[in-house]
Amino acid sequence: MGPAIDLKEVSLTLKGVEILPKINAYFSPGKLHAITGANGSGKSSLLKAILGLAAHQGRIERHWPTANETISKARQIAYVPQQTAFEPSLPITAQEFLLASLTRRAFFGWRKAADLKQVQALLQRVGMQAKGHLRLGELSGGERQRLLFAQALERNSQFWCLDEPMTGLDLQAQALINKEITQLRQAGATLLVIHHDPAWVADYADQVWCVDNGLYIQGDPL
Amino acid sequence: MMDALRELVFGLQQAGYLPEMFRYGFLTNALVAALIVGPLLGALGPLVVVKRLAFFSEAVGHGALTGVALGILLGEPATQPLAALFAFCVVFAILLHWIKSRTQIPYDALVGVFLAFAIALGASLLLYVAKKVNVHILENVLFGSILTVKDQDLLVMLLLAIVCIALMLFSGNRALISSLAPDLAKVRGIQVRFFDYVFVLLIALITVASVKIIGSILVGALLLVPAVSARMISRTGREFFWLSIVFATLSCLLGILLPMAGALPIPSGAAIVLVASFGFVISLVIRRWRSLA
Repeated sequence: MGPAIDLKEVSLTLKGVEILPKINAYFSPGKLHAITGANGSGKSSLLKAILGLAAHQGRIERHWPTANETISKARQIAYVPQQTAFEPSLPITAQEFLLASLTRRAFFGWRKAADLKQVQALLQRVGMQAKGHLRLGELSGGERQRLLFAQALERNSQFWCLDEPMTGLDLQAQALINKEITQLRQAGATLLVIHHDPAWVADYADQVWCVDNGLYIQGDPL
Repeated sequence: MMDALRELVFGLQQAGYLPEMFRYGFLTNALVAALIVGPLLGALGPLVVVKRLAFFSEAVGHGALTGVALGILLGEPATQPLAALFAFCVVFAILLHWIKSRTQIPYDALVGVFLAFAIALGASLLLYVAKKVNVHILENVLFGSILTVKDQDLLVMLLLAIVCIALMLFSGNRALISSLAPDLAKVRGIQVRFFDYVFVLLIALITVASVKIIGSILVGALLLVPAVSARMISRTGREFFWLSIVFATLSCLLGILLPMAGALPIPSGAAIVLVASFGFVISLVIRRWRSLA
């Protein structure tokens, strides 16, 4: 089971500008929480604050319900960021990116067959089994997004933060990612997903939050 | 051990297995230095390129100039001012990176400021110490010289090489992920800032270790040129890494041997970087040929 996320009097400011006023919220464990809102409303900043990537005021607590707490907390977070641009001419392949993510064995050294097999399996889960040899810069936007999802899958996490995970994905890829998300949800993971598509939100979310100068359960201000 | 190696090389030369130039012990020293420094610079180069620190390594190299002048001023031997050289370059590199992490100044602009400061301070101090020491010593610092590589320098290079290899094996992947996707790295528990500092420290140390043979003006180029050449023709990160090592090592070896073979009065640093630049041209041709094929 994933953790509950408890936001206590959390506010966000960036370079002196208030992004999000003081909010209290409780993301219950084992649910898929969709976070919606207009562009620039502070959704990504909120997610980054929850991940510990952005400075904030107030307290953000993660409450793990089971013995998972014995495992390293960092290990238990899977993060799929918003579209990441990679330097186009950099000769780092998708396979090497995943290898560097999942093993400490130096990227330039000898590779264990088991690691390569694991990488291939991850690529297969996101429909990229034939794209491992491509450079990061050669991947399309959708393929980059799938690669980022694959690196998150490697974490075997019960706590997922996804920032617009479907951006640039074709229908086939969307189906693959939706299948993984459904499985995570069934396994009791806590998922915070920033998403703009009302149809997807209606189909998959257990709870819908709206960021609009505050954080509200949709149609029901906290 | 170096004595034994020099004797072995001398013996081989006397027996006719090696050309005339190998009768000089300093050439053996220089070649051993090349075989340590070349792979090191080549190995670090790809990460310098990935992290966009090319201009930074250039600035640290120029900082070495000031370090040497300070060492001479503080009474260190003019041919071996190691303590001041190391201390100044490490402080210079860490200070630069520290300011970078705490201000919004664009990195290239900040490095430019530090580079200008290092050159200005170095030029002022060198002019002052030039009255006290043989001016050729300063030339050697600027452009490198194979004549000046002593056993003590080799030992320092070897120790640094061991530290660098250990660090790269231990943290190579984390440095790569930190460079490609810093937020992902942080979420994965990688201490991105710590690894940044480790990397900056490595560049500073390797730069200093290489000054003897390549010179402070050109040492940054050898971190960059082989890596850029390798990048142009590599299809994977692993190829990128190993080709960069091959280019850097060949540049060092040929840059030392060719002027000796041709009796050309060229400083080793200049010759090494010229060979590396030739490698760059070859990479360009290969890349062009591949795109046409």
